[in-house]
Amino acid sequence: MSILRLSHVEIRVPDLELATAYYTEVVGMYETAREPDRVFLKCWDEHQHHSLILTFAPTYGLNHMGWKVSEPDDLDHYASRLTEAGVDVVRFGAEEIGPGHGEAIRFTIPSGHVMELVHGMEQVGNLLPNTNPPPKPLGLVGFAPPRLDHIFLTCEDVAANTRFLIDVLDFHLTEQVMGEDGFQVATWLEHSHHSHDIAFVTGQDRGLHHFAWWVDDWNQIREVADVLAYHGVRIETNPTRHGATRGHCIYFFDPAGNRNEAFTGGYWVDPDEPAVTWTESEMGRAIFYYDGVVNQRFLTTHS
Amino acid sequence: MGILRLGHVDVTVTDLDLATAYYTEVIGLQEVERDEDSVYLKCWDEPNHHSLRLLYGPRVGFDQMSFKVEHESDLDELENAVQRYGFPVTRISKGQAVGQGESIRFDTPSGQQMELVHDIEMVGRATAPINPAPFVEGLKGIAPPRLDHVLVTAEEVGDSAQFYTDVFGFRITEQLLDGAGHQSAVWLETSHRPHDLAIVTGKNGGLHHFAWWLDDWDHVRRSADILAYNGIQIDVGPTRHGITRGNTIYFFDPLGTRNEVFTGGYRPDPDFPTITWTEDNIGRAIFYYEGEVNQRFMTVHT
Repeated sequence: MSILRLSHVEIRVPDLELATAYYTEVVGMYETAREPDRVFLKCWDEHQHHSLILTFAPTYGLNHMGWKVSEPDDLDHYASRLTEAGVDVVRFGAEEIGPGHGEAIRFTIPSGHVMELVHGMEQVGNLLPNTNPPPKPLGLVGFAPPRLDHIFLTCEDVAANTRFLIDVLDFHLTEQVMGEDGFQVATWLEHSHHSHDIAFVTGQDRGLHHFAWWVDDWNQIREVADVLAYHGVRIETNPTRHGATRGHCIYFFDPAGNRNEAFTGGYWVDPDEPAVTWTESEMGRAIFYYDGVVNQRFLTTHS
Repeated sequence: MGILRLGHVDVTVTDLDLATAYYTEVIGLQEVERDEDSVYLKCWDEPNHHSLRLLYGPRVGFDQMSFKVEHESDLDELENAVQRYGFPVTRISKGQAVGQGESIRFDTPSGQQMELVHDIEMVGRATAPINPAPFVEGLKGIAPPRLDHVLVTAEEVGDSAQFYTDVFGFRITEQLLDGAGHQSAVWLETSHRPHDLAIVTGKNGGLHHFAWWLDDWDHVRRSADILAYNGIQIDVGPTRHGITRGNTIYFFDPLGTRNEVFTGGYRPDPDFPTITWTEDNIGRAIFYYEGEVNQRFMTVHT
C-alpha cells in the first residue's frame, strides 16, 4: 500500500546512561532492549518494539530515521523505485538491525540523511490489556507522550530534497515557506493525513533539527513544561503555537544536545489538497505564531 | 488507495429552515449551497464542498453516508468488488449530484445507502491558502473543524462488519461481544483513527449518530456550554468512552437526529490488534465514567 508513518529515530549520544535516564525518567519512555552500545525505547501507547534508539557515540545527531510501511511488498516496491532513481538500497533481514526490528531497506536521501523503510517490527503491545482496557494506564512517569510524531531535518537544498520525497517516496507537500528568490526555505510533508510527518528547513546537510512526540492537547503541553522545569531540563521555546501545521508545541534539549519537541493539534489533510504557502516575510509567524519572530538559536542550532 | 475517510452524511429533515438554523447557528457549520429541497453545509476547516446534506423529506431519517476514496480509479475497483459481493451498484454521473463528480451508490447488507466518491469540489478551508492564521476569528456556535465518523444500526452486526472489512479493507479496531461471543457492536477504520464507522445492534437501515471532531476536552466543555445555552437536549455527557478512548457529548438536533462531538482516541496502524469488550463491561465500554448505558442511548435512532 504505502509508507504509513514515522516509525523510529536513531540518535547518537555520548553518555548512554545519562541519555537513558532522561528519556525514561523525564520523557517517560520505556526501555525494551539494551546492548552494550544501544538502548531501545518506546512510548507507553506504542505497540511496536521501539520508536527511539540511543546509540553510544562521541557526538550527537541523527544516525537514521525509520518509516513504517503497511505491507511487506512495499519494501520491494520502493527498493525498485529508488534503484530506478539511481539511489543505492541496502536490504536487511528481520532482527538484523537490532532486537525486535523488522525487515528493512536503507538508503540515503539527497540531503545525506539515512532513511529506512521497515515492515514487521515486533509487536510488544502498549501498556493496556486487549480486553476491556481503561483509556490510560495510571502511574506513568515523566510527561509520558503516547507516541512519536514527526521529525524535522536541516539540508542545503530543501527544494531538491522535497522533490525527491514527493517523486520517489509519494510524500504529500502540505506547507512551504517560499524565499523571496522563489526557492523553498522550508517544507512540511505527510503520509499519515496529519499536517506533517517530516519537515525540512535550510541548513547543513545531514542535520537533525528535532524530533517530536505527540501529546494529547494544550493542557498536556503545560504538563510537559512543568515536568521539564522540575527536572532542570533546558527549555528552548515556551509553550507556543506554530503558524505552519497550526500545532501547539514546546522545544527543549536532551542532555546530549539533541532538540526534542512535544506537539499537538494540527489538522487532517487529504492527499489531493494543495499546499499552504508562507512568504519569507511571514516566516516568523509560520514558525512561532505568537511571537512572530524566530530566535537565532532555533534557526542555527541543530545536531 | 481505497476509502480515505467519511466524506458526507445526508439526512432527511421535516423542516429545512429549522434544521439549517440549528446546524449553522448552534453547531456553526457554513452553508455552501442550497437548492429546492436541500441545504449543503461544511465545517470551517473542511476544504471539500460539503460534509452534511439536509434533505427535505416527510420523515426524519438517514438518506446516505458518503465516503471519499483516494483515487478516481478506486470507483471502478470498488464497484466490481461490491457487485462480486452480490450487491447492485448505481453510477451517479458528474452533474447529477451537487458539489461532486462521479460516484457509485449501493445498499449495504444492513440496508443503509452508501456512496463512494473521489471528485468533490474544492471550495477551500476558511483559512487563507497563503500565510494563514491557525484559526478563524468570529466563528459561530461550536464550530467543529470537521466531520469525524458515523454510527449505524444493523440486525446482524457480524455480517455487516464483514462486508466493510472484505470489500473495502476496513479494519476492526474494537468489538463488543455478547455473552454468546457474537459481535453486538464493532468499530472500523480506514483513516488510522479509532473509528470512521461503527455498527451497533439495532434495526437495519438506521442511523445512531454522526459526529464532528473537536480540538480537545476544553472544546468539549465549550460545546456543552453552547448546547445548554441554546436549550438543546443533551443525551449524554460530557464524558469519555472506554471504546475509542474519546471524550464526547451526545445530543439531538431539533428534529431528533442524534449528533455527537468527539475528540481524543489513538492512532491504530493496520496491524493494530483488535480490542475486545465483554458484555459484563458494556457500561464502561460505552461510557467510561458512568459505567452504564441509558436506555435511550441503546434504543433511540433515526
